[in-house]
Amino acid sequence: MARTTGKSRLISLRAALAALAAVLAAQTQAASLVVTVLKRDGQPLPGAVVTAEPENGQPTPIPPIRAIMDQVNLAFVPDVLVIPVHSTVQFPNSDAVSHQVYSFSSARRFQLPLYRGKPYPPVQFDQPGVVTLGCNIHDNMLAYIVVTAAPFFGRADDRGSWTAADLPEGRYRVRVWHPLLSEPAELLQVVEVGAERGAAQIRLSKALRPAPLGNRPHSWDY
Amino acid sequence: MGLLNHSGSGFARLRRAGWLCALAIAGNAHGGDWELALDVRAISSDGQTSFLDNGQGKTRFDADHEGIQLGRLRAAWTQPFGEVLSAHVEASRWDDDDKNPVDLTEAYLEYRPYPRAGWRSRVRLGAFYPPMSLENRARGWETPYTITPSAISSWVGEELRTIGLEGQFDWLGTRQGHRFDFQLTGAIFGWNDPAGTMLAKHGFALHDRQTTLFGRVGATQTIPGAPKKELFHEMDGRPGYYVGAQARYLDRAVLNILHYDNRADPTVRSAELRDMAWKTRFDAVALRIETGSKWTVLLQTIDGDTVINPFRALVWEFDSQSAMLAKRWGAHMLAARYDSFNIEFDNDPNKNGSEDGDAWTFAWSYDQGEHWHFALEWLQVASDVPARVVELGEPAFARESKIEFSARYTLSGHY
Repeated sequence: MARTTGKSRLISLRAALAALAAVLAAQTQAASLVVTVLKRDGQPLPGAVVTAEPENGQPTPIPPIRAIMDQVNLAFVPDVLVIPVHSTVQFPNSDAVSHQVYSFSSARRFQLPLYRGKPYPPVQFDQPGVVTLGCNIHDNMLAYIVVTAAPFFGRADDRGSWTAADLPEGRYRVRVWHPLLSEPAELLQVVEVGAERGAAQIRLSKALRPAPLGNRPHSWDY
Repeated sequence: MGLLNHSGSGFARLRRAGWLCALAIAGNAHGGDWELALDVRAISSDGQTSFLDNGQGKTRFDADHEGIQLGRLRAAWTQPFGEVLSAHVEASRWDDDDKNPVDLTEAYLEYRPYPRAGWRSRVRLGAFYPPMSLENRARGWETPYTITPSAISSWVGEELRTIGLEGQFDWLGTRQGHRFDFQLTGAIFGWNDPAGTMLAKHGFALHDRQTTLFGRVGATQTIPGAPKKELFHEMDGRPGYYVGAQARYLDRAVLNILHYDNRADPTVRSAELRDMAWKTRFDAVALRIETGSKWTVLLQTIDGDTVINPFRALVWEFDSQSAMLAKRWGAHMLAARYDSFNIEFDNDPNKNGSEDGDAWTFAWSYDQGEHWHFALEWLQVASDVPARVVELGEPAFARESKIEFSARYTLSGHY
């Protein structure tokens, strides 16, 4: 009974060591990248779109996704959507009123009359770029779809920070975009991601534009 | 051949067009929206007999109209025809001595195609307001800031309506990463030749009553042969025009300018209306700034003249300025406004027809849910009006004040 117990302890120890080795191995093979985006005054910029792609060689294409850009209470939800190239976006209309969604951005031009309760087929985005959305009925509605070919992308959290895990070692082009940016040039930084970790801090050189006011009563500017 | 004959006849063609229209509408049977609003007021006023009752009082509700009054009963309907064409109709009852118990204030078709490459055009055909009030931005052409709009907007609601065709051209810069949008507006219109007659008769006033398309400004005139106070008539067959421009900075600031000329022939007289055609021209500028902390600053100015020429040119020069400051806290809003107005008839500030005055307005308003809107307003107008001496045998100067409470219930829906 005691022997059995000793043997099982040994097995447990071996298993634990193996797992630890695997974890360590994984950590050395795939690194992580942490990008922090700061406003001109050094405060974090939440919601900034961050993309990272390897500087050399063709980035591996990432599978397209199916995303949703809803309309709730006379506003687009979310205000910014980041999707890989060739993804599709569904535009349901959760409002009681009609919307007429349009884009005349060069990355994707389309128009979509979202009458109440009438589902429309999703829109596919095949070209990288920023697509600005508007509503032809409600001029204050504004949102963006960022279509990216980069294999790593996301939005900065409340601390202005975005982390990509499991990147191969190498040099990466890190780009930052935000709807309120007033930078004269593209925010691009090349980051060396080493064996374990790469980190970058991108600080804006100009102040942001004022954010949209929103939340006006709906009976205004009808 | 028979088909050709049929389709060639005028009646058949008309009938076919009618069917095509009906089919097009049925095929695009998108639901419309409707809105019903009942606005009841409680009034305390020391105002002189209102201009609506042919007096020289500057307010809508005078000392004889205290207590519970109907502010406005309003019905609105919007019906889209397909994607980019829609009809909009506004009907109201004001509960005074107007011609019709219910009448229209606006009725128009709007063509609003999707923007292309950053540009958008918009066309309105029918009866609507010229785009000059950055104040009356709420439904039914009401101001959300106070119960009573500025002297300028009060006059626009009383005497002006575009009955014609208007085109707007927008450059949507903010949709292309820029900070500005620009807009150009132009219109040709008719059926507004008497515009100016009320300004000459009673001057500026401060009120929220909009003259209806088939109605008149309040009660009939008591003096025999006096004008009918009906404003939306064509008298000389000459169309008027306006051109305007608007610049918007993000969604924070709007600057609007408008040049207006109804091009009336001031020598024309209508026996039916018992009035002349009033040639009315003005320039109007408005600036509205809104901040992230929910402050609103609204500045307006208008400068123009109105002319009749029964035997010689009689000129009323008018101008008005308005400054408003408002602050919102959640569903509450406080607003303070100062208006000043001036009319000089025949280059003589003391002549019957001239006037000089100013007004202070303070208001609190509150939106309770989507149905109820409450507002409380204190308004004081001080005016020097020579007509009071000449026509009423009263002092030219009067200070009138009013406290008004408004409770409005709105129902809306779609089908």
